[in-house]
Amino acid sequence: MNLISGIDVTAGALNAQKTRLDVVAQNIANAQTTRTAAGGPYQRQVVSFESELMRRAGSTAAGPVGNNLQSVRVAAIAPDRTPGQQVYNPQHPDAGADGMVTMPNVNIAYEMVDLITASRAYEANLSVVKNARQMAMKALEIGK
Amino acid sequence: MNPIGSIGTLYPSALARADAPVAAPKIALPSQAGAAAAPTDGFTQMLDGLVGAVDAKQQAASAATRKVLLGESDQLHQSIIAMQEASVAFTMMVEVRNKLVESYQELMRMQV
Repeated sequence: MNLISGIDVTAGALNAQKTRLDVVAQNIANAQTTRTAAGGPYQRQVVSFESELMRRAGSTAAGPVGNNLQSVRVAAIAPDRTPGQQVYNPQHPDAGADGMVTMPNVNIAYEMVDLITASRAYEANLSVVKNARQMAMKALEIGK
Repeated sequence: MNPIGSIGTLYPSALARADAPVAAPKIALPSQAGAAAAPTDGFTQMLDGLVGAVDAKQQAASAATRKVLLGESDQLHQSIIAMQEASVAFTMMVEVRNKLVESYQELMRMQV
């Protein structure tokens, strides 16, 4: 029994946008990290999405309605290979012999834009959930 | 000739001796009862399945919420969506029950 169809798709999208928000949070948190476990400064992480075919577990005899709906999932969280900014700071413990420190390639302005985009996309998907529920409830009110 | 056919179901043994054709309704009676029982069974099973499905949704919602509250999962939206789905399913079950009770009361109001 699936009364609110399409909500699985939206749930996948919500999950993907939440992951994106988490990665943006990680990028902002590490905007000044010059030392990582892998060595070198922090590399900005970028999320990419891919579509995912939803398979209905309980397919009914009613027909293939919604059987080929595509949801979304996080394909990969890959590092951004852009070189980081070089800053002259000889007092810094991670400064090279010439006194230059390689900062992470995180640009706070870009991260804020990503944050707003993720937030708005999440809101849009929440609106889908809300409207799908309202439609189901309105359908149940038929005949009242 | 038997003008009051249904009386055969009440006194089959008494009337069977007096009137031979009464035997026909008597034989038909078990098959009629069987035909009446089968749809009731099906409907009962369907209602049972509906209640089971609604209960499964409630259980799933409660499991998802418990996981979020215990910190095992950060799928807050999943738990809220599961709760909403359970709520819609429950509302549908209540609507079905309302229709059922309504039809029963309609039958009980019938003039005989």
